[in-house]
Amino acid sequence: MPKSSDELRERLLRAGVAPRHVRRYLTELADHLADMRAEEELAGRSRAEAECAALIRLGGIDDLAKAMIERPQFQSWCARAPWATFGLAPLFLLAGAYVVALFILWSGWRMFLPGADTPFVRIHGFAIFYFGVGKLIYFGAPILIGWGVGLIAARQRFKEVWPIVGFVLIALIGGTTQVHASRSAVPGGFGHISMDFTLGPTVSGVPYGLLHGLLIFTLMVLPFIIWRIQNPSSSSAFD
Amino acid sequence: MAARETNPNFMNGVPELLILRLLQQGEMYGYEIVHAIRSRTDTVITLGEGVVYPVLHGLEGDGALRSRRKTVNGRSRIYYSITRAGSHRLADLSESWTSRAAAIQKMLTGGQHAEVIR
Repeated sequence: MPKSSDELRERLLRAGVAPRHVRRYLTELADHLADMRAEEELAGRSRAEAECAALIRLGGIDDLAKAMIERPQFQSWCARAPWATFGLAPLFLLAGAYVVALFILWSGWRMFLPGADTPFVRIHGFAIFYFGVGKLIYFGAPILIGWGVGLIAARQRFKEVWPIVGFVLIALIGGTTQVHASRSAVPGGFGHISMDFTLGPTVSGVPYGLLHGLLIFTLMVLPFIIWRIQNPSSSSAFD
Repeated sequence: MAARETNPNFMNGVPELLILRLLQQGEMYGYEIVHAIRSRTDTVITLGEGVVYPVLHGLEGDGALRSRRKTVNGRSRIYYSITRAGSHRLADLSESWTSRAAAIQKMLTGGQHAEVIR
């Protein structure tokens, strides 16, 4: 039932049924259909007649879809609480990634640059790799989280509104975050690292934070736009 | 005035009851379950063949069933079996349905009415 299977999948996803429940349901329906077809063929029907009879016995798409949709326990989290999936969750993930990146910066400063007033100096050897991992997390996290948001939206056939809320939040925070490090800030001698959100200096009249945010937004949203162009009919009622 | 509790749809809980009762005797996959229900109720109760799966998944989600993938005769199928929680649920459902069935039977045979006349 490839065609009706596709139709049922789209209908369930658009209604908010979690992709894993949809996948399992379709797998079991396909197995069930194969069993019924075999039974009908054993009863003497031709292959085409058996297929037709089995499809009728299986039930119409409306009934099959309704049986899943009317059970709230099969609804995905992003359908139940899109504000949490596309708003809060990316922010928490981004905060977690920044904590890890800042810890790497702080620990690398202590290990490789114990006498330096700031970790933002020329480094050598293993320190390049160590600080590099931190930088990768710091700069890569917003884009990776944004791709995750796009992937979730695409899998659940969301329209653009909620994912764009997530993209904009991530881009704003990713673009305006600035890290400061100084030894003199703490009298005990340990380095002090802080983070704040600012648009920063301007580049050709445009704040650097805005440009950075725009770059992050573009990189995040690109795969989602490509998916939307390739699947123009894939949208749901969750916006 | 307190709201009166109304009876839910009479068929509510029937598929769950029948499935749990069947699986108490051993693990089965969806196709087997549908056929077993049809044959053991002399086709009086026939579940929609496809719509049995949301019921199974729902029971599994509630912890009343567990499932495992098993390959039999070269075909991979998902087999369901009842859990301890499922057995408790079956006992509750059976009790509820037995009392309902007895009440309906009593109505149909005119038990209460006859007592009043007598």
